[in-house]
Amino acid sequence: MNEQLFAYRIRQALDESAERLPFRVAQRLERSRSAALARAHPAAAESAAAGVQYGSASLALMQTGRPSGLVRLLSTLIPILLVVVGLYSISIWDDAQDAAETADIDAELLLADDDIPLAAYADKGFGVYIKNIRQ
Amino acid sequence: MASRQELSNFLESVERRAFKQAVYAVRDDDTALDVVQDAMFKLAEKYADKPAAELPLLFQRILQNVIHDHFRRQKVRNLWTTLLSSLQPEGDEGGTDRDPLDSMEIEGDSCSSESAAQLVERDQILRVIDAEVQKLPTRQREAFVMRYWQEMDVAETAIAMGCSEGSVKTHCSRATHALAVALKAKGITL
Repeated sequence: MNEQLFAYRIRQALDESAERLPFRVAQRLERSRSAALARAHPAAAESAAAGVQYGSASLALMQTGRPSGLVRLLSTLIPILLVVVGLYSISIWDDAQDAAETADIDAELLLADDDIPLAAYADKGFGVYIKNIRQ
Repeated sequence: MASRQELSNFLESVERRAFKQAVYAVRDDDTALDVVQDAMFKLAEKYADKPAAELPLLFQRILQNVIHDHFRRQKVRNLWTTLLSSLQPEGDEGGTDRDPLDSMEIEGDSCSSESAAQLVERDQILRVIDAEVQKLPTRQREAFVMRYWQEMDVAETAIAMGCSEGSVKTHCSRATHALAVALKAKGITL
């Protein structure tokens, strides 16, 4: 008997053996199959069954109930972008506040008494001194 | 792209063979069922969008990987459980509460005309063939099962096994020879 024929006979025996599986095993396999099908990507399976392809992300979202890749990407990027813009705005506002405070101090100095010695303007703690006086 | 129905039909057509293939490898029905279920899940979750024609090769590769993963996990687990299992009293694994459904077989219409003696004899032959296939060295068994039972060609089998086509032919030839010798020694002629 040649190899192909022998293998064919063995195959028949194995097929027969597979058909005689215990009831419990057959049932478990059926349950596993059902569970696997439930896990199959719904968009892939449904669109394949319907033979329909959708061009836009919004349409895909409406039809399948699941966000497409583009929508998922945008939904991640937009909040990040908003946070970055917000932080930048806060930084600009803070700088503007500092500049306004410095301007107030300068104005106080200009309006203050002329007796202040010239060296006081070069003193780093003089601004703080003026600020404390105001308070 | 495979439809849900195509995927279902495919899984139904391969599940029994896959189970037997897993049993030959892991030598335990429940573990084999878990292995087949894992392979089904992975195929459905990751490759359901592939064309139906690609599913057989994909499923074989997944099944082989799941079996290899099982052995890797088992190796790690055995390091920790060897000591504990040696403390377990003998005879606990006998299964006194065995489910009678376990031994119940699905009767096919083709067997209804055969006598009980013929059925028993045929069943014994099938069990011997099963056992001999199981006894084959792992690589030989994998090559033989994929090539001759799963009807994959040499190239597909080589891809699934991660070896050359020449190795597949060698494994198949050796497996066939070993099976023929073993069955002849037991007085079984096919």
